[in-house]
Amino acid sequence: MRPLDPRLLKHASAARWFLVAGAVLGLAQTLTVVAFSWFLSQSITLAVRGDSLESLRGTVAALAGVVVVRAVLVWMLDVAAHRGAAAVKSQLRTAVMHRLAERGPNWLAGQQDARIATTVTSGLDALDNYFSRYLPQLLLTAIATPILVLVMLWQDPASGITVIIVLPLIPVFMILIGQATQGVQRAQWDALQRLSAGFLDVVGGLATLKIYGRERRQTERLGSLTEEYRGRTMKVLRVSFLSGFVLELAGSLSVALIAVSIGLRLVDGSLLLGVGLFVLLLAPEAFLPVRQVGVHFHAAADGLAAAEEVFAILDADEPSRLDASGDRVGGVRTASALPVVGQPVVGQPAVDLPRADRPGGGALSFEGVTIRRGDSTVIDRLSATFTAGRLSVLRGPSGVGKSTLIGALQAFVPFDGTIRLDGVTVPTDDRRDWLAWSGQRAGLFSGSIAGNVALGSSVTDDSLVVTALRLAGAADLEPTLRLGVNGAGLSGGQAQRVAAARAIYRCLALDCRVLVLDEPSSALDTDAENALIDGLASLAGQGRIVIVVSHRPAFVAAADHVVHLNEVAHV
Amino acid sequence: MSDPRASGRPHRDSWLPSAMVRSVLGLAQPPARRSLPGLVAGTVSAASAVALLACSAWLITRAAEMPPILFLGLAVVGVRAFALSRAAFRYLERLLSHDAAFRQLGALRLGIFARLVPLAPAGLSGTRRGDLLTRLVRDVDELQDFPLRVVQPLLTSGIVAILSVVGVWLVLPAAGLTLALCLVVAAVVGTLLTGLLSARSERALAPLRGALADEVLEVVENLDVLTAFGALESRLDNLRVVEEKLRLAALRTSTGAGVQAAVISLCAGAATVLALTTAIPALGSGGFSGPALAVVVLIPMAVFEVFAMIPPAISAWRRVRSSAERVQSVVPEQIPAEIPTELATGNALVDTSAPVSAVLPAAGAVLELTGLGARWPGADRAALSGVTMRLTAGDRVHLAGASGAGKTTLAQTLVRFLDYTGSYRINGVEARELAPSDVRQVVGLCEQRPWLFDDTVRQNLLFARDTATDDDLLNVLARVGLTDWMNSRGGLDARVGERGALVSGGQAQRIALARALLADFPVLIVDEPTANVDTGLGDTLVRDILSASADAGRAVLLISHTPVPTELITRTYTLTAGSGLQADPTPEEALVP
Repeated sequence: MRPLDPRLLKHASAARWFLVAGAVLGLAQTLTVVAFSWFLSQSITLAVRGDSLESLRGTVAALAGVVVVRAVLVWMLDVAAHRGAAAVKSQLRTAVMHRLAERGPNWLAGQQDARIATTVTSGLDALDNYFSRYLPQLLLTAIATPILVLVMLWQDPASGITVIIVLPLIPVFMILIGQATQGVQRAQWDALQRLSAGFLDVVGGLATLKIYGRERRQTERLGSLTEEYRGRTMKVLRVSFLSGFVLELAGSLSVALIAVSIGLRLVDGSLLLGVGLFVLLLAPEAFLPVRQVGVHFHAAADGLAAAEEVFAILDADEPSRLDASGDRVGGVRTASALPVVGQPVVGQPAVDLPRADRPGGGALSFEGVTIRRGDSTVIDRLSATFTAGRLSVLRGPSGVGKSTLIGALQAFVPFDGTIRLDGVTVPTDDRRDWLAWSGQRAGLFSGSIAGNVALGSSVTDDSLVVTALRLAGAADLEPTLRLGVNGAGLSGGQAQRVAAARAIYRCLALDCRVLVLDEPSSALDTDAENALIDGLASLAGQGRIVIVVSHRPAFVAAADHVVHLNEVAHV
Repeated sequence: MSDPRASGRPHRDSWLPSAMVRSVLGLAQPPARRSLPGLVAGTVSAASAVALLACSAWLITRAAEMPPILFLGLAVVGVRAFALSRAAFRYLERLLSHDAAFRQLGALRLGIFARLVPLAPAGLSGTRRGDLLTRLVRDVDELQDFPLRVVQPLLTSGIVAILSVVGVWLVLPAAGLTLALCLVVAAVVGTLLTGLLSARSERALAPLRGALADEVLEVVENLDVLTAFGALESRLDNLRVVEEKLRLAALRTSTGAGVQAAVISLCAGAATVLALTTAIPALGSGGFSGPALAVVVLIPMAVFEVFAMIPPAISAWRRVRSSAERVQSVVPEQIPAEIPTELATGNALVDTSAPVSAVLPAAGAVLELTGLGARWPGADRAALSGVTMRLTAGDRVHLAGASGAGKTTLAQTLVRFLDYTGSYRINGVEARELAPSDVRQVVGLCEQRPWLFDDTVRQNLLFARDTATDDDLLNVLARVGLTDWMNSRGGLDARVGERGALVSGGQAQRIALARALLADFPVLIVDEPTANVDTGLGDTLVRDILSASADAGRAVLLISHTPVPTELITRTYTLTAGSGLQADPTPEEALVP
């Protein structure tokens, strides 16, 4: 871990501002330390010489003044640190959210979104300690320590030199001990994590253990694991606590060395009491910031770890979504350019139920569409046509890439080949007003059901919301019902129907040509499923292209057209 | 990382925890004989820090009087000894107190576990969400800080502060009093005032932090939806508004942040200045000499350095207390009435390997439910009522019904995770009369979300029957249709990952079924096996489950909201929520009362 990550300064201008403010306040604080020590040593020296309190009034008053100023500066540095932390967190958060929006859902799909959410919120809160405890001490180490050493050198070179010799020993020893224990410490940290995870595993599976009558056995195992862990950890701690020992020892021993040396020189009269006391008071202050940095190192590491994750998101230099495939030029690639892997026949229309075409022409056609994820090919030269006015069902074994194909349609996933709507290549940018979609996850938000259904439109058309809910088989849901975060408060089936209604609302409000629903009925009972099928059939009847990804027999039976997606054969 | 939503909890101002929270903290605190050595070492170290400065001050001031050097010998030795003992005893303190805390960790985990056992799973429904469970485990870990970062520093600094006050008082009573006064003011103002300030800022910030966390979570988790619906920009604008509110609130409360450090710094300075003003006039009277003056004036600085341990200890206390409160709220000492307790002692850790009562045969059990009802802890109405049903060996029954009708409640009741009203007889014996663990030797359950332990497939199967040979395991895996999968993963030593992360929902169900078949329960309940399985694989899974578990000596109750192939089952019941919650047989099947 670097003491101060330059990326922090790069991404958060507030951090720069804080460093300047902190440096000024740190300098002022150092001056008060010197002044305090000076006035205190003068008061004692003059009092010992025999001056009365009356004649020392000025010096003592100055000391009291310094005390007040020092307290104010301590307060100001803390306030600055808290303000700095708040501003930096805010800047980093905003930057991350924008970066995520820029990157798009396809990039995010490769991440753990819960982890990102935690990092951006409570994870970054760990920066509070970094700013309020660690960074000020780091600044003081850089500012106060050299100044105090210089003052000591000027007043009493012998003491100054003692400090100069001892101070560098601290980082040297800490690094040596750190290196000696680093591997073991990491292993130990991993062991601790495993132990904690093991406890979690046992607690989480408690119901299962009870079903099999094994809860008692786990108790013994937990006990022995923890005891074994203690034994190993203590061995490591004996070494790693040495770094703290070195810090303490260096600080206290050099104070002792300086005190004894001053004492001996005072006895033979080569030094004045005032100077001796002054230097004695400064010596521990010279070590204090370094010791504090050591103490707060771990608190700081937590904050920096969170910042690290944020920087990883901000700095990852992967280009934004659609250029990711690199070799995609002009949106079209010839199928013959691809190496032939296994069976080339993919995406054949398997079933085509004879049913009269409904009014309204046009079609959505996939022409030689190929999608890759990393090194593997998910969809290999798919060609399929979805005709307007028909209810089409897209099916295939799980994991075959149905949702990925929909992602390509949405321009979330890069692909080779062409997708045409009514003969025109569909846009691969943010123009999606021709497409209404609902995903496998309901993806609802806090707010009313009506607000959820009308997502993305500036005004909510209440009668259209009712229509959309009815077409989605969700007429029983009250549009004014308030939902919690992520749509909490609805059952899985209810949420699924609201999500379908949301897609239908968009389809009707924007008069989208294409409506795509990904597994819209996996949590629905038969009645609700039939209502949804009727709704979708009537939308198709209006001349729209309706595509449903589903395995459900009811959907397959009701479909005008079924496209079967087979697994890509891998060599 | 903590749950982003958890910070929304309002901060409580009361200082003393309730008796129940104290009992949780008591689990974390090592007994006196273990914590005492660390406490002694810590006190010696802190006292050495004070003595080092006092001794150095005396040495220098005395030396300035140019006495014969022999007179200084003791002080020189003292300075060196205190410098060494401060560092050495600090090192010892850390080792001893960590050792004691780690020893206690085992007892702490076991204590919490012992309280969880009788509650699980029905009494822990609040922790059913994975992140809340993780939070509980982290809270338990956090409790370790109680002896290490709360009790130890508070006692150490308190003892050293009192010793120093007494020491100064012996030299110059007035200076002792001013030092005591400054320490008390620093302690009271520094802790109470900052307690109030931080509570106030927490009250202002926590709801905003919670709101921001909710916004962020919704945007991040639903980025695809927001992008597809063109609603991303407006959501980001929303987020910016919440963010800005939080930032401004944080700036407003920041003025209170440094008050504690400033008050302590001010009190430390005041103690020094007051010591000067009381000591200077006393100089020369009653043998109070220059070196004594230096000691009395400089000791406050060293004492306040030791005193600096208190603020972090107080904030650690706030953290530990809220962890203890959360743990307490999850694992109450009182078991809710809705959860059956073990008969023998009420202690769930009682040995359950005792022979099962003679009324419970190894095979061929008959379950009779008459007017059965059940309620979840904390719920104000029954989740299930008036269920009448009969299950005998060879039955393969499908229990249908919409979600929320009480299907899972019935499953949890049959394995005695939940208590019941009405009658539930096993071979004619009322289940209430039997130990719940004995009932579970007859009635087994494959849960909706089967829990796989982070271990190998072998270990995940063996705990159902630890005498099983590898051949037995391979046989049972073949019965549930996992042979190919098993071979592709490299056999029984394949790991399933944390919470079964390396296996799909369907494979997890199959492993869970294999486990249940190994245990050979006379009655097996399978709860919604397709709930977390890709649609399309569900039908095959249900078929495989029914054919694998079919056995003349076993009764199978399959809970599923989706239709089940009729040729594989003998009866269907439909559970309907709402009016009376009645279990009805399908028309062609007669209900056996």
